Amino acid sequence: MASVRAVKKAVTIAPTVRTLSSGVPVAPLLNLAARDLSAEHGHGSAARSDAPARFASGVSRNSPIGIVSKTFANAPTTTHYTPRLIHTSAVVKDASDVPDFSPYRADNTSNNRAFSYFMVGSLGLLSASVAKSTVTEFLKTMSASADVLALAKVEVELGNIPEGKNVIIKWRGKPVFIRHRTQAEVEEARTSEWKAFRDPQSDEERTKKPEWLVMLGVCTHLGCVPIGEAGDYGGWFCPCHGSHYDISGRIRKGPAPLNLEVPAYEFNELEGKLVIG
Amino acid sequence: MAFANTVYNAFFRRNSVYVSTIFAGAFAFGIGFDVAVTTFYDRWNAGKQWQDIRHKYVEQE
Repeated sequence: MASVRAVKKAVTIAPTVRTLSSGVPVAPLLNLAARDLSAEHGHGSAARSDAPARFASGVSRNSPIGIVSKTFANAPTTTHYTPRLIHTSAVVKDASDVPDFSPYRADNTSNNRAFSYFMVGSLGLLSASVAKSTVTEFLKTMSASADVLALAKVEVELGNIPEGKNVIIKWRGKPVFIRHRTQAEVEEARTSEWKAFRDPQSDEERTKKPEWLVMLGVCTHLGCVPIGEAGDYGGWFCPCHGSHYDISGRIRKGPAPLNLEVPAYEFNELEGKLVIG
Repeated sequence: MAFANTVYNAFFRRNSVYVSTIFAGAFAFGIGFDVAVTTFYDRWNAGKQWQDIRHKYVEQE
């Protein structure tokens, strides 16, 4: 006969290691506070689980013997086990795995704050000075060097130039004509009808002192160097294309469009020198 | 502590003051650095430069 025989089996609950102070063994996964569905005795969902039911407590007015107050003697059950331990042991930290760094923390952060700002500011200071010197040193490379500046001015001893003579000197790579004009030449230059010239310019505009004529010795046509004391007007003559300049350096005849250029110059009266540049 | 707070309140609290201090300090630092390096260079090369031997070659005017 094949029959199903119920196997009796003893179920042993694992022993707990601890019991609560009330003697109840600790069973972490077993909810001792759970209630069955009939805990509210069918009074509906309006009944509050944390307050006693109406039949168990409260004041009844419609009793035949008057007002009756019913109470129940049972203390409300606590739903959560909340141990209140009296102890002096260490406080349990929230995250017990994190080490305690409090001995290493600064007592007061103002020193660290000032030091951090100081270091940041010092780096900024060095960076600013490096940037500034970089820019200024780069701009210095664009300015004229000392040898160029030394060549930029030329001094001429005027006492060595006799009247009626030309001197040609080199200034910034170009020839400069210096003419010590005689009185007759000055008269001739100043009395000419300069308004009718190709490049009208008076002799007073071109000279600072009547007897000294200073001008660049570059023909304004194509840049040749004119020859002194030559030409139809007693001044300069350009051999390249035949431009004639008068005794004030003004163009009178030939292809050149402009008068000979007058550079910036000054007279040094004390030392009797002419400074060109 | 008090010194750190004083410095912080004087220079670091406002960014405008902070940056101005940095720029002014950079200016002063540039001058001081130039002076220091020039002084060191002249002392290191004492007797070799033109300014040291000029009196031997240029008579007084």
